[in-house]
Amino acid sequence: MTSDRGGRVWGLVASQASLRGGRVTAADACTAAAAAVQVSGAWLIAAAGLEAGYLMWVTDEVSEHLAELELTLGEGPSLDVSASGGPVLASDLGTGEAARRWPVFALAALQAGAGAIFAFPLRIGAIRAGVLGLYRARPGPLTAFQLGDALVFADAATLLLLEAQDEAAGGGRTPAGPGSRPADLALHRAEIDQATGMLTEQLGTGIAEALLRLRAYAYAHDRRLSDVAGDIVARRLRLSPDPYSGGEW
Amino acid sequence: MRHEAGAAVRVRLLAPDSREGSAVVAERVIRLDGELLSETFVELTDTMVADFDVIDFLHVLTDRSVKLLDVSAAGLLLADPRGELRVVAASSEAARVLELFQLQNDQGPCLDCFRTGQPVSAADLDAEAERWPTFAAAARQSGFAAVQALPMRLRDQVIGALNLFRASAGAFDLSDVRVGQALADVATISLLHERNLRRSDILNEQLQTALNSRVVIEQAKGKLAERLGLEMEQAFSLLRDHARNRNLRLAELAQAFIDGTLTLAGQTAAARPRTTARTSQPDGRPRPSPSPVPPASRSRPAADRGQSVVKELGEGG
Repeated sequence: MTSDRGGRVWGLVASQASLRGGRVTAADACTAAAAAVQVSGAWLIAAAGLEAGYLMWVTDEVSEHLAELELTLGEGPSLDVSASGGPVLASDLGTGEAARRWPVFALAALQAGAGAIFAFPLRIGAIRAGVLGLYRARPGPLTAFQLGDALVFADAATLLLLEAQDEAAGGGRTPAGPGSRPADLALHRAEIDQATGMLTEQLGTGIAEALLRLRAYAYAHDRRLSDVAGDIVARRLRLSPDPYSGGEW
Repeated sequence: MRHEAGAAVRVRLLAPDSREGSAVVAERVIRLDGELLSETFVELTDTMVADFDVIDFLHVLTDRSVKLLDVSAAGLLLADPRGELRVVAASSEAARVLELFQLQNDQGPCLDCFRTGQPVSAADLDAEAERWPTFAAAARQSGFAAVQALPMRLRDQVIGALNLFRASAGAFDLSDVRVGQALADVATISLLHERNLRRSDILNEQLQTALNSRVVIEQAKGKLAERLGLEMEQAFSLLRDHARNRNLRLAELAQAFIDGTLTLAGQTAAARPRTTARTSQPDGRPRPSPSPVPPASRSRPAADRGQSVVKELGEGG
């Protein structure tokens, strides 16, 4: 059930990239999410380390306006997402509840043309990659199916942002996009999370880099991510700080 | 007031059951801790309170299952909106690990129960090596001899499964199974029958937030285990102790530890919290570190925080 959804979502992201005529990026995940989840528009904020992020991609003018409003006003769903680490689902911006939550932003967003906003953290545990924002002109909740899709699009955008950041930092060891066997990205599995934490110490890196190295190792050795993680947690495998030295003891 | 609500819940709950089933449950109410049972039903239907917390709610289900029924531990799997099963609550670390084990090995009573929507039971795990080769062995190693899985189901929709573990072999008491199923049913109805949009939004927000917190904690366990050469359980205990001592939520502490804004080098960190312990909010903005004596001015009362850490993880992690 899960891998079907993952495969479908990555397929949509890849189609969007080829439609645009470029390599798969988080922006494609953003655009494809807006269409698949049937919202009016979407925006993507890329985190810069522990600092506040920057607006990386928007699908339309309203989205851009919404993202800018948040920055200007200092309140709104994307900021809340960054603070809580969980999604913000505001199915109706016209309610008193929304007005209490965002005294200035709620009304401004309504005037900008948004009836509902859904914002998703681009996170894997302690790894922060950014925020995916979706808005709908008319109020109304996401269906359970749409919510599930939105979360998987957010997962895809997270990985693509991490890879892009890695590449910008001179990495580029990790295969990008759907080629990296999305069905194997069961990132919630405790062992993968534990192994990622262990690698921060073994490699002396940050947590995002540790995950990228874990994935790169699995890819290079044609092994399942969860199997490699299991070996690391069982202390049968250590990775070396120098990625080019092979790393297996 | 509370008592009346409890009685009303019981009537509603038992109405669709068979006459025999109702009688058994009612008998159980009297024989066991009737007050705690009524209270539990009220808690499991009272999702409208202002500070409703879905993870606390699910822990009520697992913790009360252990208190009310003749079982040693309980674990709960819930399907997240992506369609993936996740461990969301457990009464003990052993139960949580066994739930995770089932997911990782794609095998076990909770998965069978979720997939079929039907209760699954095994009175003697020693006799189940064929049915669940790896799960049966792991459960025995954790000290469990019998298991009962109950679906969280409303009509055609199965949202999860409640797993009851017992240390001794033998069939589960029929009335225990019925009460356990009743608790699971009430919790399911409460979760599915959200009265309004906002409640349903909040529920999903909280669930995702909690699931991400869990990932942060696992990452921190790995980091600390590697740094100090510990087993995962030891690393978890250490993290939990630090969180309690510093009066921080465990996920908060874990995030700060990974960000490098908080030092956790065994006892040394506790000895010099003022200079090294800077915690950061989840968005990364630093805020003043807590002094060794927690200030009373935090947004949530100290007692609440400590309690929520425990609830968030059951007794383990």
